[in-house]
Amino acid sequence: MAEQTPWYSSFLANFSPRVREKLLSAAQQFEYKAGQDLFHEGDPSLYLFIVKTGHVAVELHVPSKGRRTILTASAGDVFGWSALVEPRIETASARAVEDATVYATKGGELMDLCREDPQLGFELYRALAEVIMARLIASRLQLLDVFAVA
Amino acid sequence: MAAGLPRVSASVVVPKASLQKVFDNLRASGFTLVGPTVREGTVVLEEIAGLEDLPLGWTDTQEPGSYRLQRTRQPEYFGFAVGPHSWKSFLHPPRLKLFSVEKNNGDWTLRAAEEHAPAYAFIGVRACDLHAIEVQDRVFMGGEFRDPHYARRREQIFVLAVNCGKASATCFCASLKTGPKVRGAFDLALTELPEVFVIEVGSEVGSEALRDTSWESATAFDLGRAAQAVQRAERQIERQLRTDDLPKVLYDNLDHPHWDQVAARCLSCANCTQVCPTCFCTTVEDASNLKGTAAERTRVWDSCFVLDFSHVHGGNMRPSIRARYRQWLTHKLASWLDQFGTLGCVGCGRCITWCPVGIDLTEEMEALREKATP
Amino acid sequence: MSLAFSMPEPRMVHDPMLPERAVIEAIKPEAYGISTFFLRLADPAEAAAYAFLPGQFNMLYLPGAGEIAISVSSDPGEPRLLGHTVRYAGNVTRTLGRLKVGHGVGLRGPFGNPWPMGEAAGKDLVIVAGGIGLAPLRPVILSVLRRRDAYGRVVLLYGARTPADLLYTDEFARWQEGNIDVHVTVDLGDERWKGLVGVVPQLFYRIRVDPKRTLIMTCGPEIMMRFVIYEALARRIAKESIYLSMERNMKCAVGFCGHCQFGPTFICKQGPVLKYSSIEPFFGKEDF
Repeated sequence: MAEQTPWYSSFLANFSPRVREKLLSAAQQFEYKAGQDLFHEGDPSLYLFIVKTGHVAVELHVPSKGRRTILTASAGDVFGWSALVEPRIETASARAVEDATVYATKGGELMDLCREDPQLGFELYRALAEVIMARLIASRLQLLDVFAVA
Repeated sequence: MAAGLPRVSASVVVPKASLQKVFDNLRASGFTLVGPTVREGTVVLEEIAGLEDLPLGWTDTQEPGSYRLQRTRQPEYFGFAVGPHSWKSFLHPPRLKLFSVEKNNGDWTLRAAEEHAPAYAFIGVRACDLHAIEVQDRVFMGGEFRDPHYARRREQIFVLAVNCGKASATCFCASLKTGPKVRGAFDLALTELPEVFVIEVGSEVGSEALRDTSWESATAFDLGRAAQAVQRAERQIERQLRTDDLPKVLYDNLDHPHWDQVAARCLSCANCTQVCPTCFCTTVEDASNLKGTAAERTRVWDSCFVLDFSHVHGGNMRPSIRARYRQWLTHKLASWLDQFGTLGCVGCGRCITWCPVGIDLTEEMEALREKATP
Repeated sequence: MSLAFSMPEPRMVHDPMLPERAVIEAIKPEAYGISTFFLRLADPAEAAAYAFLPGQFNMLYLPGAGEIAISVSSDPGEPRLLGHTVRYAGNVTRTLGRLKVGHGVGLRGPFGNPWPMGEAAGKDLVIVAGGIGLAPLRPVILSVLRRRDAYGRVVLLYGARTPADLLYTDEFARWQEGNIDVHVTVDLGDERWKGLVGVVPQLFYRIRVDPKRTLIMTCGPEIMMRFVIYEALARRIAKESIYLSMERNMKCAVGFCGHCQFGPTFICKQGPVLKYSSIEPFFGKEDF
């Protein structure tokens, strides 16, 4: 699956071709209609997701205030890495904002792949560390509420 | 003609006109009669004086979102199913003053409101409604705390129950085993036949109420006809509510997509909670005079469909109709079981009839069971 | 002559909705918009009979304004003077805020299921509080200090939005001296703040817990408690060893008004302190 599709350019861009191939063949494709929930906070976290097309919002619901979107993931973005981190429970909910197609790989399978294939494990966790770092920087800036007037 | 009074648990027959004597006996014993009467095209529950107030010759046609009364050929006093009122208005009043307060110089004294609760004789309690009273007994008197207002009214009630001879389209007591035959603590239970009432005596006070009514012991033939009348009502029941998978099916399907569908229809108007004979939620209202020297606290009926029912600092915990409808149905058919050991629903069908958009909880449950999480 | 219906025993006649009179003995400002009102029951017999357990609450009544549920935040060993830490948020609390020492309020209580002090004996305690959530946990801390040797390691993880929102800061040193490991954080620091900055659940990364002997007691915004539970479960603490104090709209506090229901749980009767394992199917469910 070596197409040059747009989503290809993000998360998996820096993987070696062999590892990329292996990861993609372990993945299933799911389709969601706009407004459909992918998972709820508190659900067992089963899949690592990569968005192929469309937009997915990652949300937390605040009692009496409703759902707040923490971030949005679109083509090439990864989310759902709690599938790889104990206690493997979703820490947020996810909902398709538009019709979306996602690649989903079972967390358990990924862990097995990492154990069997250390090179794959290294590349995967390196890529994840970069994504998480970027998200953390973004979260800090969101926290600072830099656009607040007072 | 038998002398004296029938013993408790006996069955007797009386000519229909003798029911007036039963009413007179009850009134002479100090009871205030409350029973069905026709007003504004509906059978309501009000204080009644005698037989002439009963809906003789009236029958009802009920459908989701629809209630109509029609004249009927048969001269029956109880030829209808339940109307919008239930006995809870008399046991658990819609407005109840709790206390008043007088303030002076930053200190204050409290005066509990005096209660003037008459001893009611409930005339015409159907099987479902008798169950509903027992359900509310558990809510208000079965736990660590007791509601003294409910208890004070409850222990004085005379129950003249009526076995239904006709069911309406929205009734579903049979599947919940709450009717149509009356079971429970009644003082008298009558079944209406064309010329007579067959009456089962449930208590000493019930027996006493039959004094001078020309009662005779019921024959096997009378009892057979009475049983047939009740069976006829049971055969007329169309709807049913499955209960073997409660509360689990509701607890396991709080995110079922069907909640969105019923929420799109529900107006959150709270009609269902008002007509429901078991719904018990209340709130309190505080009022004071302009000078601030006197204040009052009143308990009033409330509904989980009201937005502010779930108000907490900063907002409401159930801001959507979806959340509120889910709360009502889950409480009625699931949580209630864990809280009080019975279902909250008695199959009276009022919520179906009086819902402006005709939401039928028996249908909603079937929809939730489809593609439910097992 | 008897009716068919007979009243079940016991025949309680007292109306649980009638408040007792209580007098404001002292008002202590605690943080921005938050004060503790110290109340003494006016009737000496009532005052002598009143006792509460950590985590329980009273209904405070202001004639003409309304009633609010407030946890008791003072020492259960000193029940003559009852502390109620109140945030000025709505109509009733603001009316309370205009009262002075010597003024009277109404009081009903104590109500509710308390923190499991008995079960905590001999265990390590991790007390996790956010904002005004420290108020119902303060009686736990004071009880622990009274009998420190009855408990194992005791840790307090506490945070608020800003330094000005922190409660009971003048007591932290005494608690630390009583061998309670106190960690304090804020979401947003300022130039004077030299302490930790970060959300409360992150404080778990500063401590080590032995899941076989640790009990969690937590109170704060519900979303904070969701993530406290997440961190506790990640450290293999059993669901049965996690206790949280929940809050819902309350009108009666005795299980009749129906407002405080959370699934089958009446927060006023089975709660406000609840074992996580007993509410797990419902906790965190959106708009439930």
